[in-house]
Amino acid sequence: MKISLDWIKEFADLTAPDQEVADRLTMAGLEIEGMEQTHGDTLLEVNVTPNRPDCLSILGVAREAAAAFGLPVRLPDTAIREKLPPSDVAVEILDPGLCGRYTGRLISGVRITATPDWIKRRLESCGIRSLDNNVVDITNYVLLEMGHPLHAFDADRLAGKRIRVGRAGKEMTVRTLDAAERKVPAESLLIWDGGSPVAIAGIMGGEGSSVTSGTVNVFLESAYFEPFSIRRTSKALGLRSESSYRFERGTDIEFLVTALDRASLLIRQTGGGTIHEMVDAYPEKYEPPPVEVTFERINTLLGATLGSGEIVKILGRIGLRIEEKGDRIIVTPPAFRRDIRIAEDVIEEVARLYGYGNIPVRIPRAPLSDGVPNRRLEAVGRAGEAMRKSGFTEVINYSFMNTADLDMLGISANDERRKHIEVKNPLRQEDGHMRTTLLPALVNNLTYNASRGMRDVRLYEIAKVYIDESGRLPREALRLGGILFRENVPALWKEEGDPFFIVKGGLEALCEEFRLKDVSYVPSSEPFLHPGKAADIHVQDRRIGYLGEMGPAVTETLAIKTGKPQIIVFELDLDALFSLMPERCTYEPFPRYPAVDRDIAVIMDESIPAAELIRHMKEHDPSIIETVELFDVYKGKHVPEGKKSLAFRIVYRSRERTLTDTEVEGIHAGLVASVLKKTGGALRAS
Amino acid sequence: MDDLLSLKQAFIEESASVSDLSGLQGLRVKYTGKKGLLTARLKALSAVSPEQRPAYGKVLNEIKEYIEGFLKDREAQLKEGEKDRRLLAERIDITIPGRHTPFGRRHPINIILAEITDIFVSMGFGIADGPEVELDHYNFESLNIPKDHPARDMQDTYYVSDEVVLRTHTSPVQVRVMEQRKPPLRIIAPGKVYRCDADVSHTPMFHQVEGLMVDTAVTFSDLKGILELFVHSFFGKGTPVRFRPSYFPFTEPSAEVDIGCIFCGGKGCRVCKTTGWLEVLGCGMVNPRVFEMAGYDPGAYTGFAFGMGVERMTMLRYSINDIRLFYEDDLRFLGQF
Repeated sequence: MKISLDWIKEFADLTAPDQEVADRLTMAGLEIEGMEQTHGDTLLEVNVTPNRPDCLSILGVAREAAAAFGLPVRLPDTAIREKLPPSDVAVEILDPGLCGRYTGRLISGVRITATPDWIKRRLESCGIRSLDNNVVDITNYVLLEMGHPLHAFDADRLAGKRIRVGRAGKEMTVRTLDAAERKVPAESLLIWDGGSPVAIAGIMGGEGSSVTSGTVNVFLESAYFEPFSIRRTSKALGLRSESSYRFERGTDIEFLVTALDRASLLIRQTGGGTIHEMVDAYPEKYEPPPVEVTFERINTLLGATLGSGEIVKILGRIGLRIEEKGDRIIVTPPAFRRDIRIAEDVIEEVARLYGYGNIPVRIPRAPLSDGVPNRRLEAVGRAGEAMRKSGFTEVINYSFMNTADLDMLGISANDERRKHIEVKNPLRQEDGHMRTTLLPALVNNLTYNASRGMRDVRLYEIAKVYIDESGRLPREALRLGGILFRENVPALWKEEGDPFFIVKGGLEALCEEFRLKDVSYVPSSEPFLHPGKAADIHVQDRRIGYLGEMGPAVTETLAIKTGKPQIIVFELDLDALFSLMPERCTYEPFPRYPAVDRDIAVIMDESIPAAELIRHMKEHDPSIIETVELFDVYKGKHVPEGKKSLAFRIVYRSRERTLTDTEVEGIHAGLVASVLKKTGGALRAS
Repeated sequence: MDDLLSLKQAFIEESASVSDLSGLQGLRVKYTGKKGLLTARLKALSAVSPEQRPAYGKVLNEIKEYIEGFLKDREAQLKEGEKDRRLLAERIDITIPGRHTPFGRRHPINIILAEITDIFVSMGFGIADGPEVELDHYNFESLNIPKDHPARDMQDTYYVSDEVVLRTHTSPVQVRVMEQRKPPLRIIAPGKVYRCDADVSHTPMFHQVEGLMVDTAVTFSDLKGILELFVHSFFGKGTPVRFRPSYFPFTEPSAEVDIGCIFCGGKGCRVCKTTGWLEVLGCGMVNPRVFEMAGYDPGAYTGFAFGMGVERMTMLRYSINDIRLFYEDDLRFLGQF
């Protein structure tokens, strides 16, 4: 809210420099976000928090400034002393639950004229456009000055000279003064004349009853509407106004008379006419509930040592009525401070006026914490670190996805990734669902970077996915996803082989980091992967994710300027992975007897998986065969088409004794025979 | 006798031209081999007349010692030279870059998040977690923000249904933790939050760290102590800190924490909008209504809560001027941290 400091000074004798006024207000809780000089005046940009609607006016800010400097507040003289003719407009509240008070004055014989310049200037300084209609501009002037919204009706257009305040009762259409047809819900509060609605209460007047250049008799409304009702209607209509903004936060049910009189006098001053007696429907006088608080509580909550006299003095500065009763005070707030309801509200008032800065700084004494580190968080950290060591850079993407991406990936209808939840009000339609897979965002990251010339892209993300399992809330599962793309990378040290194995190596390192046992890679049927380069990752026979090259159906749709980009992707279920890691590791003594190495190279059918052969060899004599390691894969010269040569190093070792050469020869010969039989292959001549 | 001197002379002349180990070997065979010139002389010593033998033998012995000594020294010398030559041949250009897979980088948000977390963990705070897709009850109602409350305008909310929202702050974790554990309590809750807002200074998703301390006599003074300690750990000792009254429905009294602008030293600049201060945290004493709804006795306990935006802290730390950079995931950006 932008307001004029000159105007504020009409209410309080602020003599301090502008900057100091701004600083004091800020430190008392009314944040001045900016200052601007115009025409010899200073405009303050005030940030009013939702609990302080009383500060949405010149007067309200003046009150705060006066309290901050310990000055009195001076109100304009709004007393109407002469005897007035009676009102001939009758007022009736039909829904006292939604309207606590309704007052009004008839001002007869008014001239609708141009607005005086001083009013125009002030309206415009606070960002309100003058309509050059004295009556309408004055209602706005008083709204800014006193924070109370008023509405002016053309009294001659009120059928039956009656005002009734009641609900719509059924959904109905009201034509507002901006010439729009508004569909008003049944629960909304309307202002009716003898026959039909003439205004949407607290939000906007109706077109048919508004003040025009031809108006002679004005009926001025000053009322109190229940905040929740105004808020609901305003939201339902998608219509916010300066009025509704204040009503929905809460206005002053007592002070509204002053605002009414202030406006009436200004109208008479600018347009002449006769002010009539006030009509006042006020079914139940508002009594602010008193709040009790002990001096001790104030000091213990703040950690301060304020004396009772000081506390009473501080609270007196903001117009609270205070009754001292031994160790406590009973505080009655004014009607404009409905936010003061519990002891802590009073304590906040004490604290802010005393100055937060004056409250001592103390490091609390506290019991030692239970010291249980967050294992899961620690594991997440280690997983990320493992990926970074393998060259992957971390990304963070929004948790949203476009379901069209699932179609593009060929995800079937019964796949878990189709159990997504929808966001009702996304900013962009394509962000309308919570993601069930990290993959689409990673692909986007890749195309973004590739299209900016990056030729070696390795990215990973650790984030939640959200699976709808028909509970009240979705299951939030932690995933690790990644993507790799290399193309024409000039490199001093060449990376050989299929990039699939770069990623697989990274994942193997990850599994080693977590000491996972029994990790295997089996052919995957993920629909978006290249069928010949796709693996599901199993740990102890449980599938924890996939790894593979993105298939052509997907890569062809990407904006990457390469014929056949090789993109390797993976996604792991980290919750599952963490659950499979061993609780603890135990020291095992290392072997005391020497090992004997033997190598074997076999030419065999291309389709035989190496992992199967390694398992077969290990099982040949598990007590003696310590490790079997693949150290060469060869296809080409000297190896027939459709065949491959695999070379292994086998380490033989006994835990009980030193093996003799003859013994090893015997076992090795048996192993070779078994491998040849299993593969139907032949030894490769060295 | 002359033949001995000429033998030595011949050896000296021949040995001068030996430049490698094989040449030296040839020389060794020629003179000291089984049929060598020197060996022949030694064998012939017995044929020398007895009166000449002592003098002849002495000279012969001197020549033998000279030749053997020379061969030994020269061999050592040549071996040393050969090693030097080999090492020279094996020389590499040590300025060629080494071979490694360059490490990937951590996202700056997570670097700063970890740093913030570490500071609070060192002060004895535990780490709690809660769902991102959250019940309206935990996100609003239990934090003293009923439906129709204008404070709901402070946060543009993504709705999944009337009862389910994307959490707009990490504060709901406070209530979830209080429902499950009794005081004393010191926790922080880092995580993602969502607001239906996107412009130059807002992204629809961002990160917050929530904090909560509850015990029998926690004071506003303690809140100031903990947060000042945090600010000094994070921004450096001596960073000015001020607590300014503010409003959050779930705390009373509430405060914003400002730090002296780290860019202009408090003199006023574009970043701090000439105020000299930068807002970094929101905090306050837990509102008794929140305790009631979480099942704590507000008469028995007091506590404080605070929350901060991780993007904001990260932007301040690295002088990043556009929040959207965090979610473009451009490697030229990510590679800098």
